[in-house]
Amino acid sequence: MTTHAPVLDAHKSHSEKPKHYLNCSSGFWSWASTLDHKRIGLMYLIGTGLAFLAGGLFALLVRLHLWQPDGMLFSNDQYNQIFTLHGAFMVFLFVIPAIPGSLGNIVLPLMLGAKDVALPRLNLLSFYLWLSGAVLAALAIVMGGFDTGWTFYAPYSLYTNKAVVTIGLAIFMLGFSSIFTGLNFIVTTHKLRAPGLTWFRMPLFVWALYATSLLQVLATPVLGITILLVAFERLYNIGIFDPRLGGDPVLFEHFFWFYSHPAVYIMVLPAFGIISELVTVHSRKPLFGYKLIAFSSLAIAIISFLVWGHHMFTSGQSTYAMFAFSFLTFFVAIPTAIKEFSWVATIWKGSIALNSPMLYTLAFLIIFAIGGLTGVILGSLNVDLHLHDTYFVVAHFHYVMMGSIALAFFAGLHHWWPKMFGVMYNETLAKIACLVIFVGFNATFIPQFIMGSQGMPRRYATYVPEFQPYHSASTIGAMILGSGVALMVFYLVASLLTGKKAMQNQWGGVTLDWMSPTPPPLENFAHTPKVTTEVYDYSTLDLKSTQTPIG
Amino acid sequence: MNLPTSFPPRIEETPVLAQLIQDPAKAVNAIARAKPPELDEYGQLPKLASTFDHVDGLFYFTYAVCIFFFVLILGVLLFSVVKYRRKTFDQPAASNSTHNTPLEVVWTVIPLIIVMIMFAWGFKGCLDMTTVPQAASQNTYKATAAQWNWTFTYPNHPEKSRGEVWLEVNKPVQFLLESEDVLHAFYIPSMRVKRDVIPGRFQTVWFTPTQLGDYHLFCAEYCGDSHSLMYAQVHVVTAEEFAKAPWYTFDDSTPAKAAASGESIYKGQCSACHSVNGVAGAAPSWAGDKGLFKKDGDKVVGRERQVVENGATKTVVADEAYIRESIRMPLAKLVADYATKANMNAFGPDKLSDRELNAVIEYMKTLAK
Ligand code: HEC
Ligand SMILES: [Cu+2]
Ligand SMILES: [Cu+2]
Repeated sequence: MTTHAPVLDAHKSHSEKPKHYLNCSSGFWSWASTLDHKRIGLMYLIGTGLAFLAGGLFALLVRLHLWQPDGMLFSNDQYNQIFTLHGAFMVFLFVIPAIPGSLGNIVLPLMLGAKDVALPRLNLLSFYLWLSGAVLAALAIVMGGFDTGWTFYAPYSLYTNKAVVTIGLAIFMLGFSSIFTGLNFIVTTHKLRAPGLTWFRMPLFVWALYATSLLQVLATPVLGITILLVAFERLYNIGIFDPRLGGDPVLFEHFFWFYSHPAVYIMVLPAFGIISELVTVHSRKPLFGYKLIAFSSLAIAIISFLVWGHHMFTSGQSTYAMFAFSFLTFFVAIPTAIKEFSWVATIWKGSIALNSPMLYTLAFLIIFAIGGLTGVILGSLNVDLHLHDTYFVVAHFHYVMMGSIALAFFAGLHHWWPKMFGVMYNETLAKIACLVIFVGFNATFIPQFIMGSQGMPRRYATYVPEFQPYHSASTIGAMILGSGVALMVFYLVASLLTGKKAMQNQWGGVTLDWMSPTPPPLENFAHTPKVTTEVYDYSTLDLKSTQTPIG
Repeated sequence: MNLPTSFPPRIEETPVLAQLIQDPAKAVNAIARAKPPELDEYGQLPKLASTFDHVDGLFYFTYAVCIFFFVLILGVLLFSVVKYRRKTFDQPAASNSTHNTPLEVVWTVIPLIIVMIMFAWGFKGCLDMTTVPQAASQNTYKATAAQWNWTFTYPNHPEKSRGEVWLEVNKPVQFLLESEDVLHAFYIPSMRVKRDVIPGRFQTVWFTPTQLGDYHLFCAEYCGDSHSLMYAQVHVVTAEEFAKAPWYTFDDSTPAKAAASGESIYKGQCSACHSVNGVAGAAPSWAGDKGLFKKDGDKVVGRERQVVENGATKTVVADEAYIRESIRMPLAKLVADYATKANMNAFGPDKLSDRELNAVIEYMKTLAK
């Protein structure tokens, strides 16, 4: 059988060189049936990466179409399908699974000093469920597409003649993939910590993944049930959501957001974890307020179950419900603010290395500040009644989902890339790409804030002419953003073929992930490591390992 | 199974380059739009035209707080990056502090106080917007949303209006919102009001228009194909003007006036689906080579078309009887290209009287070439 992993050939070492997880076996089957968490993580990385590129392509089409008021490329119906594809691909195939599936899978066991996750077979099953979901989603496009928006609001999703059942099934599978990953991480964190690695010595990325996993396990089943009900409703006209049969469309909204608000934190908590990790390593300074950050992750996870109604302030819910939902929404702002302040305080008086992972981290800190603060604007009840379902909301959640989560993902990718592959990408190109992405991102979404507050509704294939300058500016921004991402993909792939050897401990991390050989061997550590120091204690850093290329 | 008829994009609907240089002023379909609203003094929100000034107040207060915190964060970040940049590979951090209890208390408590102010302010405003005063409930309109148009019923007048609604200035008004099909949302940015329109239940929204002028009314909840064309104009007029019932313009005393009235019905009720420029979209166009009528010498006659009736395809002539049937009972004969797509809802006499229907047909005839 031939090899399907070019990575292997690029690093085929001489026989006397130590074997690592990439070259210890080869051939398609050795990957397709692997139980190694790092290989599964890599497959997730490739899969979710491709989904991100597809979703990004749809986004560019959306932006191009909106260059002018009556739309430039598509009929209304085609436009509706494309923005739906953009949303559904990005949310379900990329943002939710990307960080836990790829970086989480690769780094979590390393950080715990474990040989693998607790349930390796379940881990592989998660990946295959993800893959089946992705294939079904692609099939749904061919079988008539879907035009419901990623929110599937009833009753439109019940009446449209598109492939809603197929995409529903895809999301159902993706949901199970996510639940299994969550379960696996919970068990792994409880059972496989190295001796001496107490809960408060765990790196914050582990804490974040742990909180995320709790949410995945508790919230995702609700999404699965809701989507199944929509499918049954379409197939058998039961009358749960369809008002013509005595059902209630608002009930759908409650179900949907009961999952999808916690889902916001399923998406963002891992990003917080990455950023916590990166600010300390690249400032070479212990994290400011470690416990507060760890607890704020848990606090956010719990409160996030109680704020779903803030997506429905215009749906005519009672004033009591509005009171509670708005109050709790403002409450989430506090742990979130604490995190941002703690990161900034960590950087303060650090030893700040301005390498590309840190640049992505700084970009995150700036963009997330805007994303979080504009969320506060939306939390006010009366202001939300004006801004709800406008481009202001679109811009706000892109600052969080694209600007913060995707940027944190990129930051983490650049940070662990040398660990994963033993090679370094071109740092100059990486810095340029980061700058281009930062500029392009803001150019895309700042105009959207402005037109949103002026009343431009979202999901519009055409619009009143006065918004054209903002839409055009946003389209230009998106093109810049797109070229930044293209540059990033280019130098990352190129590094696999021509990259210089990485250092043993490229950035000078002191958590266990940097204590294993680079790239890690099949079972990560030759001997189970013992943890004797507090977390992020940089006095223990062996500076030589940051200057010695791998063997 | 529905094979894609629309994805990937059809070539004839993709005149990219031709449109790149198109003049935005003449863009966007047949719908008549209000002039762009003026912006307020800070240039962020459309100038307020109702009494809900607390929305603007809280918006700008929050905005200012956001800018303050953003500048603070950005400042500290930039300062640190410049001052504490690592110059040699072994440079340790300038400080290893991990706690500062007073600081942490400050940055927890101050934001907490600020957001609680915002919460109370916003909730108070929300109570104002959801508690309908008696004066408004005595002036109740009905707004009916259907894919993809708005129809308005007035408190003391038998005639409805479509795609446009007239309000009296400084008179509180309540809208009773009803949907005939899917979710929609009633959104007038200049008035700061938005409410979902939900099939199977009534929603209400109220406000007091305080400025004369014309305003946009958008549908803000995604409702399918022509969601973005689901638009109406709100005219706020003086009491004298209002007393003349300007929405009641239907006149079929001469064929020309009937055609003009028919055109305004078209714009209010049919233009979201049917075009009059020959380009088919969600529905067949009424003009062009596949249009309804054609000129034969100086006579106007119906064109032939393929239709599906009871599953069988056949050819009919689009005469007045066929058109009446297509409107009153759309499912009887479906235009062949559209037989497998979403259909048109029937327009019974309650929505389109016989005289109005005749006026629309009169208008259709003026499109013949
Ligand atoms: C929701 C979209 C929609 C709206 C609004 C709508 N139509 Fe239609 N109409 C269609 C579709 C789709 C067809 C083609 C299928 C069929 O024959 O019923 C159609 C067909 C027709 C036809 C037959 C056309 C032909 O080429 O043979 C006539 C006449 C017509 N509509 C009149 C009207 C009038 C008058 C109004 C406004 C009062 C209106 N329609 C509003 C969707 C719509
Ligand atoms: Cu939410
Ligand atoms: Cu709509």
